[in-house]
Amino acid sequence: MAESPARTAFAEEALTHLDTLYRGALRLTRDPDQAQDLVQEAYLRALRYQHSYQTGTNMKAWLFAIMRNLFWDRFKGTRKEDVSLDDVGDFVLFEKLRDEGARPEADVLDRIAASEVVSAVEKLPPLHREVVLLVDVEGFSYKDAAQALGVPIGTVMSRLHRARQQLQRSLYEYAVESGIVRGSTNGATPQ
Amino acid sequence: MNCPDCKDKLDRFVDRELNNTEVLELQLHLEGCPECSDQYEFQAHLKRLVKHSCDCDAAPAAFREKLRQILT
Ligand SMILES: [Zn+2]
Ligand SMILES: [Zn+2]
Repeated sequence: MAESPARTAFAEEALTHLDTLYRGALRLTRDPDQAQDLVQEAYLRALRYQHSYQTGTNMKAWLFAIMRNLFWDRFKGTRKEDVSLDDVGDFVLFEKLRDEGARPEADVLDRIAASEVVSAVEKLPPLHREVVLLVDVEGFSYKDAAQALGVPIGTVMSRLHRARQQLQRSLYEYAVESGIVRGSTNGATPQ
Repeated sequence: MNCPDCKDKLDRFVDRELNNTEVLELQLHLEGCPECSDQYEFQAHLKRLVKHSCDCDAAPAAFREKLRQILT
């Protein structure tokens, strides 16, 4: 099929963001085949709605929005509780480690395997997972993340905060199980 | 700035979302407060750990080529 030069140029530019979209899709679906399907569908849709992209705005955020909206379409009917995170309270890994005399606290992080971090991220409910992917992994500003997710900046911040609390909780559990830290002596270790 | 204010702004600090004035105020507090400074180090390290752990997956070359065929 002979494509117009404008369409080809647009597609080429869109493809420079492929890694970001693929990583996002992979973490959201947790399956490489589904991730490829989702990304391919997102790109086809992006080209179809090329006219709705405003030149000069953040194309990466625009593409991510298309991909995650497709992902969420498949989640329609899922109960909100399953995709969102209750306020887990302030769980601060840093303070746990401090209480246990692990100094400096940040050194403990160096002993946590990357694969454990990935699985802790994948365990986050998707609404929180996607904020971590955008802000921490892809380096989006709150404003761009808000655009990609279609929510106010305040929502980005609160989801991110809860996600980080939950992430610390998971990493702490792993650190205790694997003997990196000793674990609470007062029996308060979350299970 | 006191410690609760500092902790409140730490997320935005590690995410580079504070304005210049706020950054200066926060840095000044961190220089004089080992507790907050340790906490900052920890949060910044955690953010880097999440990034490095998750950002190594690139789209497979064959998939990239397939998309290029379909789209261009
Ligand atoms: Zn302080
Ligand atoms: Zn690192």
